[in-house]
Amino acid sequence: VKVVLRIALGIIAAIGGFVDIGDVVFNTQAGAQFGYELLWAVPIGVVGITVYAEMSGRVAAVTRRPVFDVIRTRLGLPTGLVVLVASLFVNVLTLSAEIGGVALVLQLFFDAPFTLFALLGALGMVTIIWFTPFEGLERLFGYLGLALFVFVAAALHEHPDWHSVGGGFVPEAKSSTLYWYFVVGLIAAALMPYEVYFYSSGAVEERWTPNDLLVNRLNAVVGYGIGGLLSLGLMVAAAQMFAPAGVVPDHLGTVPLLAQIPYGEAGLVLALLGMLFAIGGAAVDASFAAAYSIAQFAGWEWGKYRRPSGAPRFTLAWLVFFALDLGILMTGIDPLELTEYSVVLSVVALPLTYIPVLLIARDRTFMGEHANGPVARVLGWLYMVILVVVAVAAIPLLLATNAGGG
Amino acid sequence: VRCVVQIVVLAACLLCAGCGPLDRGELSRGVETLSAVAAESQLVADGVAQDRTRATYTRVHARTLAEDAAHEAEKLADASVAPGIERQRDRAVAIAQRLDDTIGTMETHPGDERAGVQVHKELTGIADDLDQLGQRLVQRL
Repeated sequence: VKVVLRIALGIIAAIGGFVDIGDVVFNTQAGAQFGYELLWAVPIGVVGITVYAEMSGRVAAVTRRPVFDVIRTRLGLPTGLVVLVASLFVNVLTLSAEIGGVALVLQLFFDAPFTLFALLGALGMVTIIWFTPFEGLERLFGYLGLALFVFVAAALHEHPDWHSVGGGFVPEAKSSTLYWYFVVGLIAAALMPYEVYFYSSGAVEERWTPNDLLVNRLNAVVGYGIGGLLSLGLMVAAAQMFAPAGVVPDHLGTVPLLAQIPYGEAGLVLALLGMLFAIGGAAVDASFAAAYSIAQFAGWEWGKYRRPSGAPRFTLAWLVFFALDLGILMTGIDPLELTEYSVVLSVVALPLTYIPVLLIARDRTFMGEHANGPVARVLGWLYMVILVVVAVAAIPLLLATNAGGG
Repeated sequence: VRCVVQIVVLAACLLCAGCGPLDRGELSRGVETLSAVAAESQLVADGVAQDRTRATYTRVHARTLAEDAAHEAEKLADASVAPGIERQRDRAVAIAQRLDDTIGTMETHPGDERAGVQVHKELTGIADDLDQLGQRLVQRL
């Protein structure tokens, strides 16, 4: 039981980071529009985030330095400032989208104006964060978000054609820009920088030491593995139920139909609950990631394990981010559009986020015997190349496809 | 300065690229959007007809889908059309309005199984009409 509870950090980071509003929509749209053809992009994202989360957790456990501390040290103040501004910009978009997602799910449960639920949702999350310790947050959102497994069950219930599913894991070179937009989106959504800011800071919050490196590895592999499985479940279910019917899922409310079709009302409720807690967990991730980044960059006291009076500027930072993002939502902007932009724009910041992690994780003067071994080194550099290619392609594809609108 | 002028001209061209009259391809895409709304609405109506859903969910989601149909109807009705496709445009607008009204029935009666059956039937007819219209547009592309 202890081991299961200790891998909660990876699960919330994965549920919140992997299966946030963007992923729920991106994976469902990919399955509905391309069937099984884009399945291969999911494991590429899963392995990438696992590699870098493991590295950032290891660095945090060995050096007690979270990612933003490392970025500042390795890249210097001016470049670090550029990364900070870029990541805060993306975090603000992401947090708005997640609060909007929570409001949309609450609306599907209770039918009241969106703005009211945005306000209640944000207040609810602030209250929960204020009164719940870090480990409690992980468990609440991480474990209740596992209700999303109803989509995996739904995919299996519909008896997929395993031969076609297997074929979907083989990449194809296609000329469609929309296809490549989805490839970039799926990989980027898996590797959103806020996930590692949250994960590595969480490792410091939980006071990991080199003795916790096994827990770190389990967290990264199991947590993001679960996230990947949920993504695949959504895509396969959409390929089976939406693609043949010609449904184009442009709304968050379309997604629960995937669970309702095989399991009726119970499936619908489970899907909505899973989405509520997964997207709520992502809001917690994103708000903390923003506050962690700014506090670590500026050298403030930070951490949820401290009382608010022990880290007042950190506490004020995440409260301000919630207020700012609520304000953005109140302008009437569509949370799903925000998500698509935040996912694709975050790609540009990916190499700058991950290169310092890679450099410090291989540095024996910092890491001693825990520096990257040959496997981590090869995978780390391989993914750096992939990240650069994806970063270069992201904006042209966003413009060429009208943000996926064709 | 020359470079800046070239960029501004290019940007203006890009901005104006979608400003002409509605052509056959754009109308076809509008019909595809309506078909997708009709298909999704059929899934929702199926849940109502079989009493396998929640009334609140149906009401909220049906409202969203009806708004999509109404929005597409307005968009098509407001656009100036290329010569030769006026009739098809008017037909698409009429179907979009029918779609909006039919989905609206679910919003009003989200827990009524008989209404669900009736809506499903009407949506099947609308989907067929959209399919025929779409095929005619594609054939002449």
